[in-house]
Amino acid sequence: MGLTFSEKILGGKAGKTVRAGDVVTVSPDYLLSHDNSAAIIKEFNKLGLEKVQNPEKIVIILDHIVPAAAEKYAQNHKEIREFVAAQGIRHFFDIHHGICHQVFSENGFARPGRLILGADSHTTSYGALGAFAAGIGRSELASIWATDEIWLRVPETLRIVMTGRFQTGVSAKDVILKIIGDNGADRANYMAVEFSGEAAPSFSISSRLVLANMAAEMGAKNGYFPADAVTLDWLRTRSNEVSEPVLSDEDAVFETELEYDLKSIEPQVACPHTVDNVRPVRELEGMPFHQALIGTCTNGRLEDLEAAAAIMKGKTVPSHVRVLIIPASASVYREALRRGLLEIFSEAGCVILNPGCGPCLGAHQGIMAPEETTLSTANRNFRGRMGSRDSQIYLASPETVAASAVRGALTDPRGIQ
Amino acid sequence: MSKDTVFSGRVWVLAEGGHLIEDIDTDQIYHNAHLHITDIGEMGQYALGNLKGWEDFFSMAEPGDILAAGRNFGAGSSRQQAVDCFRALGVAAILAPSFGAIYFRNAVNSGFPLLRCLELSDWIQDGTLENGDRIEIDLRTGKGKNITKGSVFETEGMSRVQVAVYETGGLFAYGKAIESDGVK
Repeated sequence: MGLTFSEKILGGKAGKTVRAGDVVTVSPDYLLSHDNSAAIIKEFNKLGLEKVQNPEKIVIILDHIVPAAAEKYAQNHKEIREFVAAQGIRHFFDIHHGICHQVFSENGFARPGRLILGADSHTTSYGALGAFAAGIGRSELASIWATDEIWLRVPETLRIVMTGRFQTGVSAKDVILKIIGDNGADRANYMAVEFSGEAAPSFSISSRLVLANMAAEMGAKNGYFPADAVTLDWLRTRSNEVSEPVLSDEDAVFETELEYDLKSIEPQVACPHTVDNVRPVRELEGMPFHQALIGTCTNGRLEDLEAAAAIMKGKTVPSHVRVLIIPASASVYREALRRGLLEIFSEAGCVILNPGCGPCLGAHQGIMAPEETTLSTANRNFRGRMGSRDSQIYLASPETVAASAVRGALTDPRGIQ
Repeated sequence: MSKDTVFSGRVWVLAEGGHLIEDIDTDQIYHNAHLHITDIGEMGQYALGNLKGWEDFFSMAEPGDILAAGRNFGAGSSRQQAVDCFRALGVAAILAPSFGAIYFRNAVNSGFPLLRCLELSDWIQDGTLENGDRIEIDLRTGKGKNITKGSVFETEGMSRVQVAVYETGGLFAYGKAIESDGVK
């Protein structure tokens, strides 16, 4: 009986053969945290230790509320900077770099076969590059800073087998929303989700990040694409390090296999207030909204901004809608600037914000009043997440949000392109 | 110093229209507006503060209370405040058919008991368990008693790791206990 991707990586780290359901003690390769490092530092200090075990494994990226929107956030950032200096943590990225998951990936920390844990639920993103990556809590992270070890349960695997090609105007976000809508927000609780099938190699790294990121919205511990030539090419431009892909064996045991034909997928929208409340865009065509957001760790990459700009070019946002554009990282921002995308957005009447999480978690930069609605490319539409608990969030692809933004009402982008 | 693994308390059933509320996410349990708070003592007042009908939970809760919720409780963010806010109030345990994966880990590592029971929705619908009932639970075996109604029920109980972390009082204490036993 063969082994799954997760059994291989966790078994490799534990130094023995492991199966789904086993509990292993492992030492991760990298540990991610963001603005919540302030809380983690507090937990760490309770242990009475002077130094972290291995500062080289710690990656801290400030992105949640950047620049600090109030004194309480400024204080947290200050404490983090002081800790980073005192502990000699080299992999620190201050407020100007962008969203942690994008910055972490761009800097080559995520690679095939690596074990990455982060104090953020969307740490699953790094599975896009063939890593085993999972979100954990802050006490756990503080504990790994101290001991360099953690217990993990080896997950069962749900395999999504994808075939075919997307229709024009349909993209990665639509298929993951469809999968979550069909199967429910807890279908993959505690499990690994493998995105494979003959269509998988056709996904860019950017698109893979969308699916791996949103595996968290199915409850998954980790989500991943099998590493391939696309992965290795992408990484080659970022570091000289060589990585061997880790792949599930042909005869590995999967809990379930689900099949999706990409050509049958149409634009999808997740309606309030759960990510699995998904409907085709055409059923809600013409729905009004107040704010549109293109960005976040799910859909703020160059590929997303290009798709949106292609739709918005030469058009103007109607006066009853406000549109926020947030490039996922400084590097994405600069490239969007070079390619003229930011000019297109600005001329269309969009607000271009600095790279970061923006209003996605409801702290600043576009908070909603009661009875307001945002159409967003983010990954969560929980009640009250972006402001008032009486506001609403709909989630869709960059193509759908861009087409809807220039029309001022929810629009199926297939007709526009 | 081990904590007792058998305890009793009053139950709060998080239900609407006779059905357990499902998918209560971390934003409803502990809203992101309060994420900057790092001191656990200040977190209790925000517990369930964004769940419709339960905004005043903190003022009604008493130490030892037990919560019963619908499937996928704690879905979403990794924020540990969503566990700590209940610990701050002295809530003793939460029962649900299933929990968000990271939420579950956070609770285990904080030594906070979460008990899975698949039949919970049925018990609420058929009146086996009602808001305000007093119940007793053995965390080791998962066996429960409804003291108010004089009936018995079963939950999945806690795994060995869960019980061990709970008894020592959290992940850090557990780690220290393992080290001093030389089993590391």
